[in-house]
Amino acid sequence: MSSNRWFATGNFFSSYKAEQRIFFTHLDRTVFAVFLLALFVWPLCVELSNKYMLVLDNILIAMIAIIGLNLVTGFAGLISIGHAAFVGVGAYTLAFVARQLGDSHILITHAWPLMLVLCGLVGALFGAFVGLPALRLKHLYLAIATLSFQMIFQWTINFLPLFNQGQTIPIGRIYWFTGMVSRQNHYIFWYYVILTLVVLMGLAVRNLLRTRFGRSLVAVRDNDRAADAMGMHPGLTKVFAFALAGFFAGVAGALHAYLYRGAGIESFTLHQSITYLAMAIVGGLGTLTGSFWGPAAIRFLDLQVENMVEWSAHFLPATLNLATALKPLTFGLVIVLFLMFEPRGIANWWRICRTYLKLWPYRY
Amino acid sequence: MTLIFGGLYALTDVNLTIRPGLITSIIGPNGAGKTSLLNCISGFYHPTRGKIHFGERALTHAAPHQVSSWGIARAFQNLELFKGLTVLDNLMLARHRNLRYSLWHALIYWGKASRLEAENRAFVEEIIDFMELEPHRKHPVGSLSYGVQKRVEVARALTMAPQLLLLDEPMAGMNIEEKEDMVRFILDIQKERRITVVLVEHDLGVVMDISDHIYVLDFGQLIGSGRPDEVARDPKVIEAYIGEK
Repeated sequence: MSSNRWFATGNFFSSYKAEQRIFFTHLDRTVFAVFLLALFVWPLCVELSNKYMLVLDNILIAMIAIIGLNLVTGFAGLISIGHAAFVGVGAYTLAFVARQLGDSHILITHAWPLMLVLCGLVGALFGAFVGLPALRLKHLYLAIATLSFQMIFQWTINFLPLFNQGQTIPIGRIYWFTGMVSRQNHYIFWYYVILTLVVLMGLAVRNLLRTRFGRSLVAVRDNDRAADAMGMHPGLTKVFAFALAGFFAGVAGALHAYLYRGAGIESFTLHQSITYLAMAIVGGLGTLTGSFWGPAAIRFLDLQVENMVEWSAHFLPATLNLATALKPLTFGLVIVLFLMFEPRGIANWWRICRTYLKLWPYRY
Repeated sequence: MTLIFGGLYALTDVNLTIRPGLITSIIGPNGAGKTSLLNCISGFYHPTRGKIHFGERALTHAAPHQVSSWGIARAFQNLELFKGLTVLDNLMLARHRNLRYSLWHALIYWGKASRLEAENRAFVEEIIDFMELEPHRKHPVGSLSYGVQKRVEVARALTMAPQLLLLDEPMAGMNIEEKEDMVRFILDIQKERRITVVLVEHDLGVVMDISDHIYVLDFGQLIGSGRPDEVARDPKVIEAYIGEK
């Protein structure tokens, strides 16, 4: 390592362990720590309305789901058009428990971290099962298999009285050490919980990606014949990728159900699946940072369009329902523009910014 | 052994022995069945009739990932590298079997996972050193020139620390200088690392120079075998390559 670990100017590794580090300089690590601290502290200084708090919580939940989608679609190269269904599996696992044991059973209100893990595991189970066709199918054919899971999921929920035929199944208020989380603290409480989970799961995936598990995912994406010759089972690796994605989706689904205090089918439709794919593409497929940029960008866009529609209502006739037209239009436009001009997504801009800042004020 | 695709006899009653520690070459005109033979050994194809043995083990019905774990590594003819990954990651993938840590260790990346990664990295660096790939270590494989990619392909097979190395046309499409380098690498692999090499190659000059033993295939049949000078004088081999007088 260089003598100055704050502003290292080159590659000075003296051991392979040193090269495994995520943060190469103290500066990198400090900036990251300060950024995290800021994320945790700002709610104490600024008070945001519930509407915006809900948007933030939604973005964070989507981040967890997109990390999973990125693992299976970005890293392992298996297009999944049923990601919302996996998120739904998580939410409906919680709803199932609520229906069987009552929506304020101690398992749901007090042991909610356990429930989050349980929903993740059920998601992983479904992920692995739906991933089984990956043993035989490839590319678009596999994508259709995931699409069929989305259809089956929606149909099942819509027709089973057990799941209230898609109508909202309520879930009780939860408890923290300080007692029941009240109505006014609900969104801020979940902001902290989800943020912690995003950080923990993000770090875990960052670790996973620099080990044999992460490399094997990329190996089956790039060349599964060679992956076979390397001594791994390409089919099982793909099933593993689906299981991982299912786990993240399951946790995201459980968080969604807790946040909205209920589970209803309209949050887990095909449309939502495609929104997830769009988030992954806009963020940058095959990058971890992309999983954070994508949801933030798409939700921010939604918010802007909504604001614009509100503003236009001042001078446009109310019969002209701009919102219904503009939302899908901007959404589609953004995806097309990204696919055309920046297929590597926002993560690539981030990478360019970072390299520029690293060298600044020099040009190379 | 015999390999049949539909009505096509890709290999007919081919019987050959590869002696340990030597460089054995398999030559033959295009479509003679050389690559099919390698595919049979490495488990991508399974012979319709006949058997393949590697020491005590039967390879006849083994899957590629089993074959590779028993000490047989293969470099492909058409580059089958992981193009999006760096040279280093490509070689680390070849150590997949040796990185025996669990998912939990990987998620925390503390202790065992970190230690095993570093140990195997040291082994990979040894191969990088051996194959002279130092300048390309951190480059994505897709961005490297063809000759270097071929070298990475051989390096990756070598990183699996095999007892038997199958090289499928490692010199195809290279210039003289790159070929000379590759020949030197193959000889070093045999002499220094004591690995048995099976070479499939079209460049007869190279094959005659470095092989200890040669098998000649034509239309899926074994038409000649022996030491290089014997094969070069064999009338059947001359006929297959040059045609009748």
